[in-house]
Amino acid sequence: MVQKERMIGLKAELEKIKKETLHKLEQLNTMEELQDLKVKIMGKKGSLTALLKQMGRLSPEERPKMGQMVNEVRAKFEEAWEAKAKELEQLALAARLEEEKIDITLPGYRLLKGNQHPLSKVIEEIEDIFLGMGFTIAEGPEIETDYYNFEALNLPKDHPARDMQDTFFITEDILLRTQTSPVQVRTMEKMKPKLPVKVIAPGKVFRHDDDATHSPMFHQVEGLLVDKGIRMSDLKGILLYFSRQMFGESREIRLRPSFFPFTEPSAEVDVSCMLCGGEGCRLCKNTGWIEILGSGMVHPRVLEMGGYNPQEVTGFAFGMGVERIAMLKYGIEDMRLLFDNDIRFLKQF
Amino acid sequence: MRVSIEWLRQYLKIEQTPEELAEILTRGGIEVGGVEDLNKGFKNIIIGEIKSIKPHPNAQKLQVCDVNIGSEELTIVTGADNILVGDKVPVAVPGAKLPGDKVIEPTDLRGVKSQGMLCSDKELGLEFVGLDRSKGGILILLPDAEVGSKLEDYLGLDNSVLELELYPNRPDCMSMVNVAREVGTLLGLKPKFADWLEVNTPLWPTDVKQKIEIENPELSWRYSALLVEDVVIRPSPRWMRNRLRAAGIRPINNIVDITNYCMLETGQPLHAFDRDRLKGTVRVRLAREGEKLVTLDGVERQLDNSMLVIADDSGPIALAGVMGGLDTEVTASTKRILFESAHFAGANIRRTSRKLGMRSESSSRFEKGVDPHGTVTTLARVAELLLELEAGVPMSFTEHCVCLPPQAEIEVSLKRVNALLGVEYSEQEVEQVFEALNFDYESKPNGKYTVHIPSYRQDLKIEEDMIEEIARIIGYDRIPTTLPQGIQTQGRRTPEQEFRRKVRHTLTEAGMNEILTYSFTKKDSDDIWGRRDMNIPILNPLREELGVMRTSLLPGLLETAARNTARRNLDLLLFEIGNVYWPHKLPLTTLPQEKTLIAGLVQGQSQRHWLVPQIKFDFYFLKGILSQLEMACGVEFTYTRLNNSRYQELLHPGRSAEITVGGEYLGFMGEIFPQLDEEWGLNRPVLFELDFDVLYKNSQTALVAKSYPRFPAIQRDLALVVPQDIPSEAIKNRILELGGELLQTVEIFDVYQGQPVAEGYKSVAFSLRYQSPERTLKDEEVISLNSNILATVQKEFGAQWRK
Repeated sequence: MVQKERMIGLKAELEKIKKETLHKLEQLNTMEELQDLKVKIMGKKGSLTALLKQMGRLSPEERPKMGQMVNEVRAKFEEAWEAKAKELEQLALAARLEEEKIDITLPGYRLLKGNQHPLSKVIEEIEDIFLGMGFTIAEGPEIETDYYNFEALNLPKDHPARDMQDTFFITEDILLRTQTSPVQVRTMEKMKPKLPVKVIAPGKVFRHDDDATHSPMFHQVEGLLVDKGIRMSDLKGILLYFSRQMFGESREIRLRPSFFPFTEPSAEVDVSCMLCGGEGCRLCKNTGWIEILGSGMVHPRVLEMGGYNPQEVTGFAFGMGVERIAMLKYGIEDMRLLFDNDIRFLKQF
Repeated sequence: MRVSIEWLRQYLKIEQTPEELAEILTRGGIEVGGVEDLNKGFKNIIIGEIKSIKPHPNAQKLQVCDVNIGSEELTIVTGADNILVGDKVPVAVPGAKLPGDKVIEPTDLRGVKSQGMLCSDKELGLEFVGLDRSKGGILILLPDAEVGSKLEDYLGLDNSVLELELYPNRPDCMSMVNVAREVGTLLGLKPKFADWLEVNTPLWPTDVKQKIEIENPELSWRYSALLVEDVVIRPSPRWMRNRLRAAGIRPINNIVDITNYCMLETGQPLHAFDRDRLKGTVRVRLAREGEKLVTLDGVERQLDNSMLVIADDSGPIALAGVMGGLDTEVTASTKRILFESAHFAGANIRRTSRKLGMRSESSSRFEKGVDPHGTVTTLARVAELLLELEAGVPMSFTEHCVCLPPQAEIEVSLKRVNALLGVEYSEQEVEQVFEALNFDYESKPNGKYTVHIPSYRQDLKIEEDMIEEIARIIGYDRIPTTLPQGIQTQGRRTPEQEFRRKVRHTLTEAGMNEILTYSFTKKDSDDIWGRRDMNIPILNPLREELGVMRTSLLPGLLETAARNTARRNLDLLLFEIGNVYWPHKLPLTTLPQEKTLIAGLVQGQSQRHWLVPQIKFDFYFLKGILSQLEMACGVEFTYTRLNNSRYQELLHPGRSAEITVGGEYLGFMGEIFPQLDEEWGLNRPVLFELDFDVLYKNSQTALVAKSYPRFPAIQRDLALVVPQDIPSEAIKNRILELGGELLQTVEIFDVYQGQPVAEGYKSVAFSLRYQSPERTLKDEEVISLNSNILATVQKEFGAQWRK
């Protein structure tokens, strides 16, 4: 009977613990308090633990019953505790997120980054297009002999075509090259008799001129392909490919007869206007076309002077003004900006 | 060459508009730079005759004129004072329009009603019109102007001009006849020419008295002369004046106009000498040193023995092919004339005209090449016009003809045409081109031709020239687009080109902006920053400031920095990679060494940012950029104090360094010398200049990857107080040495001067990182190494340990 009373007593106590604990749990606001409560209930000296200790005094039949009841309360408490813990964690996280909020409109920190000059950028781009077509890059001196700059290009002394290029002279026979074309002959001399000769030659050139559309120093990229069976149609194909890479896939080109002493036949090459697409606009002066380069089939005399037999090989050559291409590409209206080197201009590229 | 459409229509039935014709010519290889409407935009300008001129009743500077305009008489007020009664003048009647859409209305001018306006040539956009008296006032027309007719009809302004921009290979098109041939070829029309064009042999008796002698046959192949008597000098007729004006030539008088007109027509320059002023034999010879000639423009020219002249027994009377002499000029009283129609070698004319700075319609034709076959033909035209204009009577002819170049023949093979162009033209197509060109040819088997080139097409010499003719006349658009058939090649930059690109990209990645400056510069600054008196001078510089080829990139950088600073771009990170030119000796006899340098300039500081402090663009900042370059190139630079006397006045001695790599001199860096920056308008810039080749040569081309150790590292900091003159790097190197194999790296992470560090001392903090590739280090090992290091540097550098 005593045992029975005990059982009832324990039961009542268990019920009380359960009720009080769950109530308390509701009130808690911090993880610390939550931990404390856990200790108070389930710790070594916790109330539930104390209850369990008293179970030894119960009859063997009642013990498992009581055990089961305690376990149920414990499970219930743990469940409630976990839920509460989760709730508090979430609250704490929400508080932290709120607290850590920053002004995302403030500017970020950008590492210093410089810019390539637009002309060197365009030259690299042109180089890359031609490298992709199997051309290599040749170079030649900027201070040149009259021979390479003129004579070897079929421009003997006193040839009226020399007037096309106003020249800076150092001595009677040494000058600042007026074109990158001398690299043609220098390259052929170096390569002969190997085939193909397939190079582009970017570089500085100089002419006695200075206004909004002329600079006394500017840049050209020369191209030369000498091999057996090179045709003018190949020139057209290569330049069409180049123009599309440089100015967009929908570009077309057209050739116009022209004159250069070192090519025959010679052609001026126009590309369909990149601004209006050929409709006609201010940029193309309503023609739909923009002149971008000069070209032609290498003159037999030039092949000979380069050490090749014009009966066996043919070739084409072309030359383009880098400034002009950069101006078209970036919509630059005054060439002088390119050599003014104002950093506000340079930082755009 | 200015081509009048009205004139061109004399030879060809042209249906195209001037703009269409311009496009056809341009696509055919004769570039048309512009189409000019000769009427600059006026309407209803009537030719009137001044009947009376009275002073204005209310204004001193105005006059009131009665002007007969045919249909009526108008009262017009004018401010001009160059008019006389009887003058023919252009009258803007009410409703008339002037260029710029200005409409004329009757107006009240100080109480007198003006029924129109008298116009000046400028107001009408006209040039080369009227009497000399027109200058600065009302345009006074020649007496042949018809009262009451429209001014544009009288001046032939209902016409356009094509401005041909001829390439030097087509001097033939500096002639209306040849332009007509070219246009005919491109339009598929046959031009109609008058009979005189067929004349090849003189039609006049030989003059026995006038001798002609070419003394320099290499410079003149033919000199033909037509001798004319009973000359009457007067204005040439209206049609001729109008055509000359359209071509941009001022009409003078019938004789001068005939020479100009025939030159425009055939391309053969002419000169008229007053025969009564000629003394003896006309000679074509080189001038003698010291000879002088007063040319038509009244200027006395000093001649030298490279200049071809026309001389008589008294000396030079004309600069051959360039300009005549004043002494033998045709004047109002001239009665007998010698018309010269000659060939002169282009190169000599070109040199003479350049040397004297004289260019004329004549010289610009001769220097590009004039057909020596055409001298007599042109004189036949002169004779015809003299008679037509009743300007004189052609009496006799004389010439000295040294030689005439043979007519060129070109062998053309259809196979080669098609192979070179990448086309498949038929024999018929090619033959059509020969016919369109009006060239004689013979067909031979297998698609081969012999083409006879007319003498006026001196540009056609070899087969390729004919291939271009065929291609352009059939049209370049007919050439297809193909790709080369040969072996495919791999395109790549040479290692050196790749390296140059890497340097450029490394510097831009590090924050530097690339600039590009002229290769020529001012001698003064290049002398200072480059190699004094070893800069190559340009014979004909654009300006004195661009007088020498640079031997250093620094003047260009400093100028760029100065320009930017003046524009308030104060914070600068600039570099340039470019060539300088080092002569082997001066004056230049061989090509100089072209040396690539890398140079840069930094000034100012980084932009303000809310998050990070501003960084000064100073010595250490630039050194940091250079260390980026070291890393990219796989090299290590060594910095020592500059001892090059060249820079002692240019760079701050305490803030500059010589840079070597692999024991080789690479270049220098440093802050500009105090006050020198102010002279440039700069604020303490720091500069560097490096030798690209030395950097390239020393750069590591092959990268070998190292593995990293698996055992943990131990890090120890060591702060030392040392006398401030001791280079930090010396201590660092000594520590590394003392640390032996186990000491992997030593970094300086703090430098401090000031309280509590005693004056004359600095505190330098090193971070030492110990690590073994084979095992985990024991604390004791490190402690023992560290204390040995400390003891040694204390002794050797007078350092104190700062705990």
